[in-house]
Amino acid sequence: MRGRRGVAGLASLVVAAGVLAAVVPASAGADAPTQQFPPVNQPGVTQTEINVGGVASKTNPLGGDYAGAFNGVKAYFDMVNSSKDKGVYGRKLNLSVENDDQVSQNRQEIQSLIDGNVFAVLPVSVLLFTGADLLGQSGIPTFGWNINAEWGSEQAPGPQNLFGEKGSYLCFTCPSQLVPWLAQKVKAKKIGVLAYSVPQSADCAKGLQAAFDKYPSAKIEFLDTSLAFGVTDLSNDVQQMKDKGVDFVTTCMDNNGTLTLAKEMKKQGLNAKQYLPNAYNQKFVEENAPFFQGSYALTFFTPFEVKQKPKGLKDYQKWMKKNNYEQNENSMAGWINADQFVTGLREAGPDFTRQKVVDAINAEKNFTANGLLAGIDWSVAHQGEQPQGCNVISKIENGKFVPSFGQPGKPFVCLQLNPLPDKLQSQPTVEA
Amino acid sequence: MSDFLNYVILGIPFGCVFALVAVGLVLTYKTSGVFNLAFGAQAYVSAAVFYNTVTNHDWPLLPGFIVAVFVVAPLVGLILERFLFRHLRTAPAIAKLVTSLGLLIAIPEIVKLLPDFDFLQSSVFNPPTIWPNPFAYYHFGDYVLDGNQVATIISTVAAVLFLTALFRWTTIGLQMRAVVESPRMTELAGINADRVSAFSWMLSSTFAGLAGVLLAPLFAQLAAPNFTILLIAAIAAAAFGRLTSIPLAFLGGILLGVAQGVLGGYLPSDSILANGLRPSLPFVVLFLLLLFWPGLRTRSEIVDPLSGVDPPPPGLAAAQRMRALTYATWALGAVVVLGGLYVALFVVSSFWLLIITKAVIFSLIFLSITVITGMAGQISLCQASFAAVGAAGTAQLASHFGFPVLLTMVIGAAMAAVVGGLLAIPALRLGGIFLALATIAFAFMFDSIFVPLDWVSGGLLPTKVPRPTFLGSDRTFLLFALGVLTVVAIGVILVRKGTTGRYLDALRGSETAATAIGINPARARVIAFALSAGIAGLGGGLLTLQENQANFAGNYAPLFGFLWLVIVVTLGSRTVEGAVQAGFAFAFVPEILKALGLSPAYQFILFGLGAITYARHPEGIVEYNKRRSLDAVQRFLTRGRTPPPGAPGERVVAPTPAPAGVGTARVGNPGAPS
Repeated sequence: MRGRRGVAGLASLVVAAGVLAAVVPASAGADAPTQQFPPVNQPGVTQTEINVGGVASKTNPLGGDYAGAFNGVKAYFDMVNSSKDKGVYGRKLNLSVENDDQVSQNRQEIQSLIDGNVFAVLPVSVLLFTGADLLGQSGIPTFGWNINAEWGSEQAPGPQNLFGEKGSYLCFTCPSQLVPWLAQKVKAKKIGVLAYSVPQSADCAKGLQAAFDKYPSAKIEFLDTSLAFGVTDLSNDVQQMKDKGVDFVTTCMDNNGTLTLAKEMKKQGLNAKQYLPNAYNQKFVEENAPFFQGSYALTFFTPFEVKQKPKGLKDYQKWMKKNNYEQNENSMAGWINADQFVTGLREAGPDFTRQKVVDAINAEKNFTANGLLAGIDWSVAHQGEQPQGCNVISKIENGKFVPSFGQPGKPFVCLQLNPLPDKLQSQPTVEA
Repeated sequence: MSDFLNYVILGIPFGCVFALVAVGLVLTYKTSGVFNLAFGAQAYVSAAVFYNTVTNHDWPLLPGFIVAVFVVAPLVGLILERFLFRHLRTAPAIAKLVTSLGLLIAIPEIVKLLPDFDFLQSSVFNPPTIWPNPFAYYHFGDYVLDGNQVATIISTVAAVLFLTALFRWTTIGLQMRAVVESPRMTELAGINADRVSAFSWMLSSTFAGLAGVLLAPLFAQLAAPNFTILLIAAIAAAAFGRLTSIPLAFLGGILLGVAQGVLGGYLPSDSILANGLRPSLPFVVLFLLLLFWPGLRTRSEIVDPLSGVDPPPPGLAAAQRMRALTYATWALGAVVVLGGLYVALFVVSSFWLLIITKAVIFSLIFLSITVITGMAGQISLCQASFAAVGAAGTAQLASHFGFPVLLTMVIGAAMAAVVGGLLAIPALRLGGIFLALATIAFAFMFDSIFVPLDWVSGGLLPTKVPRPTFLGSDRTFLLFALGVLTVVAIGVILVRKGTTGRYLDALRGSETAATAIGINPARARVIAFALSAGIAGLGGGLLTLQENQANFAGNYAPLFGFLWLVIVVTLGSRTVEGAVQAGFAFAFVPEILKALGLSPAYQFILFGLGAITYARHPEGIVEYNKRRSLDAVQRFLTRGRTPPPGAPGERVVAPTPAPAGVGTARVGNPGAPS
């Protein structure tokens, strides 16, 4: 009996030694992950790689840094590929195509991505998103910087496979509480609104009008929606605002327009606060510190300047720095896009397909990119406004963004959006 | 009254900006005979140099200013004169205009490729001012000026005084004007025309450099399109000065600034009128001035009196080749077309199918340039707007009124033809560069007034246009587009061979002689304009169908029209095959560059520099090389034989003199393909 047990024990030892001999060299000596994953028959996917491709308006007449989104994606992929899992499902993530649509060739560059060997399209960071319908029809999971109505707007809901970094649906003409609330908070009484005559800008001005009509915390004293894109002379507008005692100016313009306005305001001594929905650009604000002193800027994500940084922001800054990439709003959009993609990929399971990734993301109720966002509910974010609108409002002081109105660790100011309350909320909720 | 005065005064500083650019334009036209659309690009070069020295390399302002304005700018002028415009002095004004258009497109991209200037490829905020303290403000009663505005006003006034004195009281001023009138006659008087011309270009380029450095801080970013748009807006002021009077151009600039100030003050800023009129004011003013300003209505272009002794340009290669070669060319063409079609329909991916279809559609649009430029000898820079009219008609009638899409495409083309005809009726008597300027004004008016309207562009999203079911497949759609192109191409050939084409030929040869034999120039040109606009509109409709949407910003912005013209005249504006080659070049060159690992921006350099060959080879570089090849082949085939003069099917020499630059009489083998 003893002998049998002894033989059995010896056999166990031999087996254990054999298993150890088989496992130890594999885990200690090689980089390849140990876990085996099922083969996946999807475009752009091999046993070792998952390839994605993106498109940006790298060459554009406005000079904006649209290609920064590529860096955000690459930095995120670098982080995932360097993790203990060495990628996702044993495959490295690879941004294999970086197309430049030169603004006017968006459609054909997107067609080349659809034809090409990529599993998903990210980032999309473009001035004109004219190929959106091709991506919508293709069903390819697509992630991008949501500054175009094609992602989803009051004119048409967005396709289910298109995911913007702050949700997909944007309502340009809808009223919201945000600006009337901010005006009330800074004790503004007379509002000036300036917009270009082009549709997206003019519609944004309509939304502001509707907001102050619904929540008359202050009165719009001056409204100009007839500015030419690229206008350089705002002397007349500023003087009229000055004559009317405007103390808060909100614009639907790009950085070129807001800087021209800020310079003219300073020149004519119009001491009104400016609300800048599109100005989160450290270099731009720092170089123009005297013009933007006391203005307010908006971000949909946790700005770099918060003191208690969530994990997502720490990771972003670490990996952007490690790759020597510039940290800015556009690269942040690319980073969030990549995070959204990888989250969907993981949720889709090891036998993932494009459709499974899309379905997995659309089932998410609260995607925050590790604290970078207040939360996206993808069950509504393609076709309507979320229950709450959450943003971080930063005051510009001495050329720096200073997050305001939130609380330590909770920078987001959230106001009810859907349905809109009848009266302006006296106190917003704050969220991490 | 006090409000009015207030708005007037507010408009003056910006009026000086218009005045500075307008004076520069007039200076260039007066001293070189070139309406220099590249003035903005030259200004951009100096602004970039000033930025690089002062901001990137921390030079003090004064050395940076001197290098940018008094070293680099004259050097650019000298290079342009020595290598380009010296050889164009006796070319028609329209050829010089096209050359400057090519430079406008090429120069900014060339600068970005220079060593140490790659910073221009990304956002460049805050161009520096020449005023030492950019935050200094100067109060004049209730009005405030910043340092850069003071510098601009002082520089503009000083320049006007200096240039007026130069032309009125100095010998060099007189010589500069004389060289523009006729360099050959000036040289007969013992004046070195080359030296005077070089001085003229250096002077005007210095002025462009000054404008660039002074005006760059008006914009938040340093970007070439800013200068181009400002230049186009300032053309109205130059037109007020009849393109020749510096004091009047100055006054025109001030008045334009004042008009903007007054309009901004009195028009309710959220009204429909303000939305349309304020952004488009400079273009509306330019258009009205060209039509009604007495100094322009009767003005003839600067033309060298000795230009009539120039030999006519040679005829088309196709009209000169042997009959056997013609048949061989047809056979080869058929093989290429059928082979290409097979590859397109059965081999290539969706992406390349899209590119090929785009090439076919743009070939159709470019046929409109063949008609207006190749046949009628006129330059139109608003073909993109005509295409936009066709696109808008197609999209809106189909989506909002439920008309069948193919019918709306035809209606859209008809709408564009009507718009083109209506534009031509008042504008065609201008001719030459004045007509070109009128078309620029129209293009920007259309873009500022109509495109922002929801019922034209669709608002936030481009208007969706579903294709008919039988055209649902992209491959079927390619066949359909090819069919449309073929029909229109045959139509263009028939028109050219018909009465209208022959009238236009005659008018290009001698308008006086043509009128004397009973040809109505107005009628022939209105037909050409309407036909050209209709073809562009049809192309716009077809493009809308291909993309399933009318995409104005991406396809029909006014500056696209500039690029289209440059591509067509580079490759050949006189033939149908030239338009087709241009269409394929437009679609394929960016992809070829990408395959070679080069930036797509190289296409602008390629096409821009290609356009500068227009004056020397108005038939296009492809046609030029085709003729050279044909000569070589025919020499080879006929070696050892001397054909009897005028033998049927043998080479025919163009018998009819025609003005250099734009087109020539068609001659030779009537059976030759076009």
